[in-house]
Amino acid sequence: MTTRSERIAPPSPGGTATMLMILWRTQRRALLVWVAVLAGSMIATATAVAGLYDTPAKIHSYATAVASGNALQAINGHVEGIDSLGGVVQDEFGFLAAILLPLLGINLVTRATRQEEESGRVELLLGGRIARHQPTLAALLSTTGAILATAALFAAGLAASGIPVTGSVLYAASLAGLAFVFAGLTALLAQVMVHGRSVYAGALLVLGASYVLRGVGDVTDTWVTWLSPLGWAEKAAPFGQQRWWAIALPLAVGAVLAAAAVLTARSRDLGSALIQGRTGPARATGALLNPVGFAARVHRPAIVGWLAGGLLLTSMMGTLAQQLIDAMTGNPALADAMGISPTAPLEGFVAVTQLYLAVIATGYVVQAVGVLRGEETAGRLEHRLSGTISRTRWLGAHMLVVVAGLLAVVGASSLALAGTVAWSLGDADQTSAILGAGLAYLPAELVLTGLALAVYGVRPRAYPLAWAVYALVAFVAFLGPGLRLPRWALDLAPTTHVGNPPLDAVSAPGLVGLSSLAMLLALIGLLGFRRRNIPQA
Amino acid sequence: MTITTTPVIHLEQLVKTFGAVRALDGLDLAVVPGEVHGFLGPNGSGKSTTMRIVLGLMRASGGRAELFGGDPWHDAARLHARVAYVPGDVALWPGLTGGQCLDVLAAANGGVSEQRRSELVDMFDLDPTKRIRDYSKGNRQKVALIAAFATQAELLVLDEPTSGLDPLMEQTFRHCVRERREAGVTVLLSSHILDEVEALADRVSIIRGGRTVSSGSLADLRRHTRAQVHALTVESPGELPAAAGVADVTVEQLSGHVDSRFTVDAEHLDAVVGLLHRAHITTLTVTPPSLDALFLRNYGDGSEADVEPTVDVVAR
Repeated sequence: MTTRSERIAPPSPGGTATMLMILWRTQRRALLVWVAVLAGSMIATATAVAGLYDTPAKIHSYATAVASGNALQAINGHVEGIDSLGGVVQDEFGFLAAILLPLLGINLVTRATRQEEESGRVELLLGGRIARHQPTLAALLSTTGAILATAALFAAGLAASGIPVTGSVLYAASLAGLAFVFAGLTALLAQVMVHGRSVYAGALLVLGASYVLRGVGDVTDTWVTWLSPLGWAEKAAPFGQQRWWAIALPLAVGAVLAAAAVLTARSRDLGSALIQGRTGPARATGALLNPVGFAARVHRPAIVGWLAGGLLLTSMMGTLAQQLIDAMTGNPALADAMGISPTAPLEGFVAVTQLYLAVIATGYVVQAVGVLRGEETAGRLEHRLSGTISRTRWLGAHMLVVVAGLLAVVGASSLALAGTVAWSLGDADQTSAILGAGLAYLPAELVLTGLALAVYGVRPRAYPLAWAVYALVAFVAFLGPGLRLPRWALDLAPTTHVGNPPLDAVSAPGLVGLSSLAMLLALIGLLGFRRRNIPQA
Repeated sequence: MTITTTPVIHLEQLVKTFGAVRALDGLDLAVVPGEVHGFLGPNGSGKSTTMRIVLGLMRASGGRAELFGGDPWHDAARLHARVAYVPGDVALWPGLTGGQCLDVLAAANGGVSEQRRSELVDMFDLDPTKRIRDYSKGNRQKVALIAAFATQAELLVLDEPTSGLDPLMEQTFRHCVRERREAGVTVLLSSHILDEVEALADRVSIIRGGRTVSSGSLADLRRHTRAQVHALTVESPGELPAAAGVADVTVEQLSGHVDSRFTVDAEHLDAVVGLLHRAHITTLTVTPPSLDALFLRNYGDGSEADVEPTVDVVAR
């Protein structure tokens, strides 16, 4: 016979297993995508580097080129033992790893903790036999699992590319430690911040600070590097001194943060947070009351985010212009991999950078038009259109802001590129060519805008189609030259029809064709939007 | 109330299809100026779709829809100057404060009375400096309600407007609807809270499966349903079970009294009371059907016996 105390026994460890199962059922796609993307990009980098630097002499010339300047060290980190295949991979993958691995931890933990709590789903589960701390614990366990899987694939991929096994394992382990620190940090932030987005903001702030500290430490060659989790990974020196003990630091810090998070989750009220939302103005100002001003407010996050990305890319590339051109002149293979002709390295360099900027700008427009879709699915558009604002006026105001944002992203980033290139080369001869090339991509970017608008206006459920075309543009831009894609495949991307300025002349018929197509698509979008149901599920 | 006035909302044989789904299937609705019109129906019966067609957010696949005598689809923005809408799921911009949202909605609704805005903020006890993402569902609903009540709109379209409000705020809401009605505003109110509709509505339309199944004043609707009767008489009203219009009879012999319970349709009530009278009435209670009973009858699967309101009256 069961006694009363047995029947109301405290939640068993089985609750954590149940939570893990729930997480697997609801979030496995995000988890698998993270593992696949990270392992894929690491293995692709390792394979490409192993193919490109197939002799010790080539590796040596790479090492000397990189070690010659502080700027590259600030970006990719100071790689000990760079004069080896593993060292080259660590340097090439350095920037991506410093962003993607912390993001893996931040994203997976946030979506399984505070975001779930915010949505009210955790409340539902805690009403069952799940204890308060178990969702946090399960989030940490599943994220750790994803980190370990990624690290195992890293080590295997590196070893398969011909890099010594010991170094490969230590490098993978140091990156796993980096991701783990940020997973623990995010779990703790999720206890003190009330909204998922503030958790992201807090964690990204720490990541930014870590990046700066690591950069400062590396450039000044001081202990400052040790203040940064990114520095801990770097100091493991997998292809140099091989300090295995340096991995203990991120593991210990991550474990302490994780334990603090689980303990806090156990003792705090559901939905509570140390840092609550702040209050704001009780009245709206003039700009918000006007449809265009209101649209600007709605699109501000997308504009600011992509603008920051564009400025970062162009000023980083521009600052390194001289060094990159020198490296390419000395190493035609490098130039070839980037799709730059060794005969006109400067124009080629600007052309590649402008193409990358076009990838950022098209990403912005697809996201910005997607924001309109978000307004609709959230139910806000219905409310908005129940007033005196007509559909045409609403869409017009938003498109005006989206296009103005595009001009801001392209214009400011091109200016930043022109300025930094002039600083790096010591002359400003390229300024008008750089700005012209930026503007020449606008019609191609507007084609993507028009396409996104047409899909939104006519068949909003098919919006992923706009993202698919964006993926094609990015694919052609980044990998087109390296993979030597056939002409017809390159032609699928609107950006190809611009003509690759300033290396080659701008194609006038191309721009006219792109502009006409953009107008046509926008018109289809507007007509479709005026005719359809709102909301359209 | 004369039905000869031009209706504010006039829907005739309205049809709306979504692919193969027929959401509205010949719906009729007439809302006349100055009335509060209760709009009832089970989930998925087409209430929200009807309101969206009235607002020109969706276009009818068939039938006729008129708003203030105009075409709500083609003249949406112009007609909306006279309408305020509270959607069923209130979604606002998470980064704005409640007060900012009120101003944004007011600007889109063709202006509000400042004085009424601040009165309403006090009445609904809303903190306008909090961000929408920090509000509970009920508080978000308050923002949409205040925005709608503060307008000069001639028509309020309210889609289940009190689903997140506490009882106190529910009272405030009722007060505001009555106050607007006295100011001559027309209200289309969809709701699941029968109490609320009974307290506020002049007329009611009940829809099911995209069709109107009943429409009229509460008195009209009641006329077509059965009253419950409980009578204590000295003698036995012998012919009662056989009398026209009478059903669900239970008769019990108590010490010196006969206790009869039954239901009767409205047109036979007079004859039945005569019958009881001849048996010498001691006490008599006649209860008109509640809105719940009407509602259940119209919602049910058609087999009236299952949902007849009198089934729970049992013999002692």
